[in-house]
Amino acid sequence: MRRLEQQASDQPQTISLRADEDLALVQAVLRKDRKATAEFVNRYSGHIYSYVRSRLAPQYQQAEDLVQEIFLSAWESLSRYRGTGSLHAWVMGIARHKVEDYYRERLRTPESIKDAELDPDTSTSVATIHQVLEQEQVRRNTQRILSALPEPYRLALIWRYWEKASAREMALKTGKTEKAIERLLARARAEFRERWNHAQSS
Amino acid sequence: MPSLRDDEFMERIADAVELSESAFAPADLKARVYSALAKQQSRTGQLMSLTETHAHGHQLCVFEQLVRIAPVGETVKSLNICRVCHARVLAEHLENAPIYWGGCPYVEFKKS
Repeated sequence: MRRLEQQASDQPQTISLRADEDLALVQAVLRKDRKATAEFVNRYSGHIYSYVRSRLAPQYQQAEDLVQEIFLSAWESLSRYRGTGSLHAWVMGIARHKVEDYYRERLRTPESIKDAELDPDTSTSVATIHQVLEQEQVRRNTQRILSALPEPYRLALIWRYWEKASAREMALKTGKTEKAIERLLARARAEFRERWNHAQSS
Repeated sequence: MPSLRDDEFMERIADAVELSESAFAPADLKARVYSALAKQQSRTGQLMSLTETHAHGHQLCVFEQLVRIAPVGETVKSLNICRVCHARVLAEHLENAPIYWGGCPYVEFKKS
């Protein structure tokens, strides 16, 4: 009990300590303290790289370019960081925007994928999903299938289902009609599912 | 058996699978990012001088230390001297660059 009380009283102090640390680092980077800038890169490059890689896989070379862009963009807007949230969350917010910009650019270009026929029979039952929901296998299958999909399909699916963007948002950001995005998503889902079902049966 | 619509199916997959990868950023990538940042910082004015950097308690590398104690003005001490350092070139191109001295950010990137 005493320990719990101690933990409870320690928590706000830890949070405010972290916030102070974040602000101090930001101020030092803004003063162009080269060692603080190196610390900034060291502290966040792993998280950003890991996030970007997972969202762009298997385009790893582009992931590296994007990580650099994210840091440059963070530097450009660093003076706007107020310390109200953690610096980690703030930097990851920039990373998310940059990934979204990347999706937007890639999906704006005309598609060169032939329309996949939607087969209504390629459905997977709830029961099957529950059976297959052996976390690791599902994760491996998902990553493998996503990596093998044509880029527009892969990006559209990740943007819609992992980044939780609506078709309307995607349409606004890519300059396409909502209908065009829905069609792209439908083809992407069908392709994903076909490959999924094929993986399950083989 | 109840079947799922494609949309619902994808939602379930996305909920069940976190797409994160536990990847450490490669040292050469960190080196390139740091160089790009330092270059960008120098474009809009001088970097913090080495005298001040030292006064803030940071460890300087052997080359920075030489510039810090040299009888030159603060303007020179505020230059981004990593731009002309071989450690930067090696670190940007090699994952395990043969650079080992203390106080160098490029050496630190290899360790973390």
